[in-house]
Amino acid sequence: MKCIKRASVAVAFAVAGFMAAGHALAAGEFQGVTVNVMTFVGPQIAEPLQRRAPEFEKLTGAKINILTVPFSDLYQKLLTDWASGTNSVNAAVFAPQWMVDYTKGGFLEDLSARVARDPALQEDDVMPFFRDFSQRFNGKTYLIALDGDFQMVYYRTDILKQLGKQPPKTWDEYLDIAKAANGKVFGGDGKPVAGSCISKKRNAQAYWAIISIAGGYIQSKGTAQGAFFDPRDFKPLVNNDAFKAALNVYKQSTQYGPPNEINLDVGDTRSAFISGHCALTLDWGDIGVLAIDPKQSKVIDKVGAVMLPGSTKVLNRDTGKLVACDKNTCPYAVDGVNHAPFAAFGGWSGGINAKASPKVKDAAYAFLSYMSQPAQANVDVTIGATGFNPYRRSQFTDMSIWKKSGMSDAAAASYLGAIKASLQSPNMVIDLRIPQNQRYEQVVLDTAVARFLAGELDADATMKAIQTGWDEITDDAGKDAQLKAYKASIGAH
Amino acid sequence: MQSSSRVSSSAASRRGSRRSVAANWLDRQAPYVFVLPAVLLILGFSIFPLVTSAYLSLMRFALGEGGYELKFVGMRNYVRLFSGSQQFHFVGVFRPPGVISIAVMAAAALAIGWWLVRYLRGGQRSVIGGIGRLIAAASLLAVVWLAANTTGDGGALGSLMVTLFYVVFGVALQFLLGLGLAYLCTLPLKGGRFFRILFFLPLMVTPVGIAYMFRMMADTAVGPLAPLWAWLGLGQIAWAADPWLARIVVVIGDTWQWVPFMFLVLLAALEGTSRDQIEAAQLDGASSWRIFRDVIWPSIAPVAASAVLIRLIEAFKVVDLPNVLTNGGPGIATESMTLHAFIEWRTLNLGSASAVAYMLFFVSTIACVSFFQLVVRRARGRQS
Amino acid sequence: MIKRLFVPTRLDEIPIGTRVIAYGLLGLWTLVVLFPLYWMAITSFKLPIDVANGPAYVPFVDFKPSLDAWHYIFVDLGPDTYRPYMNSLVIATLSTVAAVFLGSMAAYALARIEYKPPVAAVGLAVLMLALVVAAVGWGGVDLRIAVAVCGALFFLLLRPIVRRARRHLANDDIIFWMISQRILPPVVTVIPIYLTFKSAGLLDTRTALIITYATANLPIVVWLMFDFFASVPKEIEESAQIDGATRFAILFGIVVPLVAPGIVATGLLVLILSWNEYLFALFLSTANAQTLPLLVAAQNATRGPQWWNMSVLILIMILPVMLLTLTLQRFIVKGILVGAVKG
Repeated sequence: MKCIKRASVAVAFAVAGFMAAGHALAAGEFQGVTVNVMTFVGPQIAEPLQRRAPEFEKLTGAKINILTVPFSDLYQKLLTDWASGTNSVNAAVFAPQWMVDYTKGGFLEDLSARVARDPALQEDDVMPFFRDFSQRFNGKTYLIALDGDFQMVYYRTDILKQLGKQPPKTWDEYLDIAKAANGKVFGGDGKPVAGSCISKKRNAQAYWAIISIAGGYIQSKGTAQGAFFDPRDFKPLVNNDAFKAALNVYKQSTQYGPPNEINLDVGDTRSAFISGHCALTLDWGDIGVLAIDPKQSKVIDKVGAVMLPGSTKVLNRDTGKLVACDKNTCPYAVDGVNHAPFAAFGGWSGGINAKASPKVKDAAYAFLSYMSQPAQANVDVTIGATGFNPYRRSQFTDMSIWKKSGMSDAAAASYLGAIKASLQSPNMVIDLRIPQNQRYEQVVLDTAVARFLAGELDADATMKAIQTGWDEITDDAGKDAQLKAYKASIGAH
Repeated sequence: MQSSSRVSSSAASRRGSRRSVAANWLDRQAPYVFVLPAVLLILGFSIFPLVTSAYLSLMRFALGEGGYELKFVGMRNYVRLFSGSQQFHFVGVFRPPGVISIAVMAAAALAIGWWLVRYLRGGQRSVIGGIGRLIAAASLLAVVWLAANTTGDGGALGSLMVTLFYVVFGVALQFLLGLGLAYLCTLPLKGGRFFRILFFLPLMVTPVGIAYMFRMMADTAVGPLAPLWAWLGLGQIAWAADPWLARIVVVIGDTWQWVPFMFLVLLAALEGTSRDQIEAAQLDGASSWRIFRDVIWPSIAPVAASAVLIRLIEAFKVVDLPNVLTNGGPGIATESMTLHAFIEWRTLNLGSASAVAYMLFFVSTIACVSFFQLVVRRARGRQS
Repeated sequence: MIKRLFVPTRLDEIPIGTRVIAYGLLGLWTLVVLFPLYWMAITSFKLPIDVANGPAYVPFVDFKPSLDAWHYIFVDLGPDTYRPYMNSLVIATLSTVAAVFLGSMAAYALARIEYKPPVAAVGLAVLMLALVVAAVGWGGVDLRIAVAVCGALFFLLLRPIVRRARRHLANDDIIFWMISQRILPPVVTVIPIYLTFKSAGLLDTRTALIITYATANLPIVVWLMFDFFASVPKEIEESAQIDGATRFAILFGIVVPLVAPGIVATGLLVLILSWNEYLFALFLSTANAQTLPLLVAAQNATRGPQWWNMSVLILIMILPVMLLTLTLQRFIVKGILVGAVKG
């Protein structure tokens, strides 16, 4: 009797241990393993990695070195390290757009099998959009999503109330509010407020803003219709009345912005908004969480968020002219307005060097999985300094984590509502994910738009410059290959 | 510099009992031992990069299976800079020449032509001298033509002209300020030593740090000078949105950093000027200006020319300031050639980056060699 | 009255008017130099919200100073700050010592010995080097074999060429060639140098940066030290030579002490150049060999420059150089006085 009891207890322990091993990380599993993880300089993105590295080491014995380089150097630093065979970087947290270039050389490890074997990761909890577009390419999983990136418009609830205006649904309404608020004083420190603060600095992160504005004019029939190129013939969609309208909106917003807006990058506009000097701004999800940080924010509980404004007129791709929105042209319109939320940049994700040693790869994967698991991720997305924005369903449904971070119910509802509305829209714009997307966006688009803002080119010349530049890159890379990659990335057939 | 080596070493070897044969041999090899390490190191680190960069500039870099691949495209990268899609970026945007432009070009052509003729008619001519001067003259004419046709309404400067602007105005400003400060410090004032140490400070800050420091300072909203601008009524001017203002801010930052170098060198030169000559001139009743022109200036000319040459060489490579202050904006207005190459390189457009860098190399070489031959040599010649 | 303000009464006395103006101008420039540094110093004690609020000039009066940024740099980033700091110290010191040593030797030789390398020999050397590069780069030949073969070829062909050589280069040309190496923009050289160190397995090590900086700064040392050596009177050396001293003994025993101020001045300049260099450090280091300028630039996060952290870093970067300058300041002033004047 005793033997059976002892045996059954032993079996029970064994079973429990077996199940536990599937969920928890075995202590000391990676003792003596060092993983070099590269990302860009913090505190955003690097801070949570640096903070959790010691925790992870305690759990598994693996030493995680977080290497940081300036953002603009990250792309080529990783490529140089991997393409030249130096391989001193074992894993990296970077933009999912770059996955295209990195997989071409076979630099990224295929994580499909590992993810399938990892219940702790709770991959189903990751919103389908990020699962499909941040983590996967060509049907295989190469990255683990750590962050979800969307551009939205933020507004000062108190200023709008005082002006008697509603949150903007179209870009004309946006400019309207900006004009009304610009230069007036709305309490606070008595300084006049700028109507609209949009980052416009060259060679920074400003070049996504123009797509955020143009998306609503260009794409109306769903993600597979494409917003950068026409998936039928790969013609750039940048030389038409729709893009022209967007350029004009962009330029006009400068009139209602701070005087040196052209030299402000995202950090400057962000800090301007949360210190109370702007009425409207266009930015990623960071403002929502930064606004509740008492160390930095003067607008706690005064910030609302709304999905990207859209347009009542959309592009007819055959004529290049704008046509009014109706059931045919804008099947997904909301109240007659076509919205095209832009998943700018995609969201920082972690990938692993395919040439690293197996033990290092295992440790790296365990670390990335650890960072992404809800226990850690759901805390990190509520802290402004981490730069991680919501990307898991549980982060939208579980209000307690937001309450704990200090967000009021109204603010949380507005902020999460805007992100959810964006994510659920069938007409989302996916960021460009074809080979050399860096050059299309960061070099050609950014330079041309910067010259436009500087007054060097007019709208027509700007559009021509972008089209010529893009065609040149396409010719270099091979039009058929690019078209194929583009159609794959937007899910067109 | 006389070759006393041969005489003295044979004399010494006659007294060779003092030294061993090995020491003797080592001594005879001294000329090589002294110079070769430096020469070899420099040679090694210059030939290989030069050749490889030239090679890269003829290629197109692309990512491929298992790494990268280079495809030969000939002179396409260079052609693009001058007449292709990158023309606006490198050379600038042309505008139809106005009256002033044509007048300036004509005047320059006449002046340079006259100078060339004078040389060719003069006594000391040589083939190399002639060729060198021809190249310098042609380059100068090309620069004047470019400047006349891209400045003004409707035109825009490319990275080539912007770099030349930084170099010429920056170095001139630094020279004048350095000379002025050095002159002031040679006056018998109390606290001269304090000023010398103090003025050396800016040189100690890393260029990247200086760039960020000036970005902080120049911020019209939260920078320390914001109340000053507002009081002057200039509060709403966005220097970062105006091409020329932005370029001037870059020059200001560069000047702040490099005046100490000029200051130190010129100070040393000024203090080395013979006091007797100055006092003699003063006794003769010459004015300060005449003393400066006739006594002091010839004495410091060689050192001044040397310092300006070093500064010129470094100035062509400016990259940190425009990169940090404005990221090359507004548009491309503050991009220097190094920044241009750097931006290309960031997206791994290695061929284009190497082509721009090589152009910088050519331009810089022509400018510095011309300056050396025409100015430094002459200044040194006058001294001896 | 105005005239009396500006006309000197004695030869070496400055009239009051001129003195006022002189002090005024010097004071103005002092302000120009000190104010940005002061601004940076107080920014290192500010919180992000203090910076965003607009300019605050005096600590305790306009804003409450906080040690947040200092805490972040030294505690939060702890090892990530000490490592670049140590790297910078080691790399800058060693590369300066190497550059000054090799460069001074070369400068002395160029000042005292007349070199007449035949143009043909120089051309031959360059050709051989290019052959090595080509063989290793595109022929896939092993480096040692290529060097051995080309070295042998060089020495074999040297004699006959030298005997028939007509045109020669002079010392002046050699010096100018050296300084012209500085014309090469780092952007041109950085990728090939990266590839060189990669094949030598020296990427991300201090050695790579030490070699690079020493080589890059050699021309400046030679250019500056040449003038110093040239100004040393030859009689001292000649009498030592007659007494039978070797060249090495003369250089290190007699001449160097005479130009010590010049060496210190040059060394300080080269140290500053190595300490502050950014581009090569960016390329040649990933994790282990990062230097301080990289850390400064890295404070420009995507979401905004962290002015407060940056200020702390810049301050601790200036500190060692400033201390060094203060201790060696008598040498600098005297050093630049002695040399560089006679051209």
